[in-house]
Amino acid sequence: MKSNILFGRIALGVYFLIFFGYLIGPLVVMGLTAFNSAAFPSITPWQCFTYEWFGELFKDERILNGIKNSFIVGFGTVILSVSIGLAASLVLTQVWAKWRSTYYTIIIAPILIPGVVIGISTLVFWRKVSDSLGGVAFMNNGLFLTILGQSTFIASYCMLVFVARLQRFDPGLTEAALDLGASHTQAFRKILLPFMRPAIASAAVLAFLASFENYNTTTFTFGSYPTLTIELSQMVRYGINPSISALAVIIVAITVFGALALEVYRRRTKLKAGEIKPAKGLPSWLYGNIATILLVLMSFTVIGMLSTAQSYSPQQCKADFREARDLETRLKIEALQAARAAALAEAAANGEATEDAGTDAPAEQGGSSGAFGGVFAPTNLEDAAGQGDGASGGAAAPASPFGNVFDPTNLEDASGTSGN
Amino acid sequence: MGKSNRYSEFIRENKFLLLCAIFVQFLAIEIVLLVLLMPEALAPFIEIIEGFGLPVDFFIGILVGLWVLSVFYILKFYHIFAEFFRNNGVVMGSILFFLVSFWIIFLILLPQVSMLDYSLHPNPLNLDAGERADEYTLKNYKYLIFGPEGASDAFNKVDLKVFVRTIIAAMAVTIMNLILCYPLAYFLAQSKGGGFVRLLVILLIVPYWINEILRAFALRIIFAPSENGLINGIMMKMGLIDQAYDFINADIALYAGLGYAYILLMLFPMYNVIESLDRNQIEAARDMGASWTRIHRRVVIPHAKPGIASGMTMVFMLSAGALAAPQVLGGTSSLWFTQLVYQWFNGTLNWQAGAAYAIVLLVASIVIVLFFMKIFKVNMGDIGK
Repeated sequence: MKSNILFGRIALGVYFLIFFGYLIGPLVVMGLTAFNSAAFPSITPWQCFTYEWFGELFKDERILNGIKNSFIVGFGTVILSVSIGLAASLVLTQVWAKWRSTYYTIIIAPILIPGVVIGISTLVFWRKVSDSLGGVAFMNNGLFLTILGQSTFIASYCMLVFVARLQRFDPGLTEAALDLGASHTQAFRKILLPFMRPAIASAAVLAFLASFENYNTTTFTFGSYPTLTIELSQMVRYGINPSISALAVIIVAITVFGALALEVYRRRTKLKAGEIKPAKGLPSWLYGNIATILLVLMSFTVIGMLSTAQSYSPQQCKADFREARDLETRLKIEALQAARAAALAEAAANGEATEDAGTDAPAEQGGSSGAFGGVFAPTNLEDAAGQGDGASGGAAAPASPFGNVFDPTNLEDASGTSGN
Repeated sequence: MGKSNRYSEFIRENKFLLLCAIFVQFLAIEIVLLVLLMPEALAPFIEIIEGFGLPVDFFIGILVGLWVLSVFYILKFYHIFAEFFRNNGVVMGSILFFLVSFWIIFLILLPQVSMLDYSLHPNPLNLDAGERADEYTLKNYKYLIFGPEGASDAFNKVDLKVFVRTIIAAMAVTIMNLILCYPLAYFLAQSKGGGFVRLLVILLIVPYWINEILRAFALRIIFAPSENGLINGIMMKMGLIDQAYDFINADIALYAGLGYAYILLMLFPMYNVIESLDRNQIEAARDMGASWTRIHRRVVIPHAKPGIASGMTMVFMLSAGALAAPQVLGGTSSLWFTQLVYQWFNGTLNWQAGAAYAIVLLVASIVIVLFFMKIFKVNMGDIGK
């Protein structure tokens, strides 16, 4: 029996490890690539610890412009979808019982409709309206379309948040206010709105985050106002460097910071209300709370990083690394040349030297027109020879769709692979 | 009681006005349909109006004003709406009504209708001989099934294959997520919610707040098909393989990315319903000697059915309609159906065909979801709770 429980615990632990590894692992890896000096975002091979990608990020005009557009769209979407969501949830409590499920189905549907479809239908509809009114400029504007398209389904999320909160609302309060002579608008502003405030706050945060990260809908509606997500997708598809990872690190850090701060805040209010007791043996400001400890640790890490970033320079390490790699490449080439010389000598000894030279030349050509194109030929003759030797290997080696083959630092690596 | 009597009296006395208002409503619907479907049919009317020397905008203004008036007139008499305005006051009632009807009509329903209409028209840039841009045709749908006319194959094998693959892969991703999430949902729901569990929940939510593109990109780093990729890099370093394995073209990266993108939409609905299960039921089953598997099969899962259904629905719909993950993680040889739609819109600039493809995707996924809901006896109302 005891071993059974132990086994269960181990299984649970392994399962947790897999689940959270799947969930968190990719983000950790991506975060690490932001600090690796390799030009292609990767952590294997690890080159040098660097902060340069953060500098690169803040120099990128397109990213900054995308952030600006994302904020404009985000604010528009928050205002529109929170008000629509609130109205829809208030109406839901009053709709005739017979119609309620139909109404609910309609307003919940946008969550289930694929984002692509919402984007297309918004684009097509407003294009049509604008056309039939003789070309109304603002209806074809990317910001207008994106805000409407995103609000279509984000309003449903907001509605769900409000419905959950409204279930705990006592309508007697509004009635009392009305009996005491308040107008409906006053009752709404003074009774319902204060009660809904936490829900409005969380719906606004949810709406902003959903808008900020949306891709599927925005990709059809953005027009000439690409949001951050759109810019990122272009960068990811058409050549990347780790400055994207640097951006991800910043976003993750802000998110974690916000989440932990919220948790600490909740904990403090609960503590003040006397719902939980502070743990003993820790300074009072910590309250024995994991979230607080993590928050403090994280702040220290960020401060430490910011201060070292001013003085730290990876130049020496990068030079060392380059040297080491050059040495490695040279050794490889020498080994290849030695092997070839040996083979030639052997062939000559057997009296078949002419034939061998004849097969060698086409192989070399095949190498340069292979997967790597002519990239290798002009840079290094010896490399090309190495490529020719391993022509079959070179052709089979997958060409990365990112086009990182054009990156001069990858040259030796790639030829090394094919040379093997 | 007295109040509603007064209303019905009022209606009896003003029947003519009410009929007028209803007539205006029908007129308005027809005009909107005309504008949407056949804008050129309006041209003669516009000419007449301009013949009187009135600007068209002025006329539109009058029409809209008349429409609003008639809406309010009808609302005032229609019993339910009268109650609605009585409960909320005229100002708040109008605001609520305006917001909700704007959402439902202009953001949800009409865009879908106009997309359907769009998909039934030929593309004005490549018309067949004798075809007019404003006539209705099933050409775009035919193209998906039969391919271009005069092609060697009887069916459009490429696109249909992509379609079938998308649906099946989305189902597989959904089931994978279900298996992966159920134990955690059960664990979270059964635990008493201490600081550790709250921290777990934060850990769960944080990845979901990161951009969809960035999440796919993170997986791309891990699965990259050269020694730059984490898995390939490690395996090559350890000498397990000497050629990089191409996870991207094998679609492993894509499935991992799709599962990753929507895993929380599976977890939280399940967590919510399992949490509402009375723990005594499980205790009782255990006391009576039910085995561990039996408890789940007979007690937990039946109770969690609505949550499981809504999680599966969301994951299926969203992964079938995903675009970010396939674009970043998809192989060069295999496409996702949304990528075809994207190509129609941004590559070929044939929006009509793109709309048709999008509608096929939408209808197919809705039909599949409804089919499975019927089989497992779940209601639409349970979704999203």
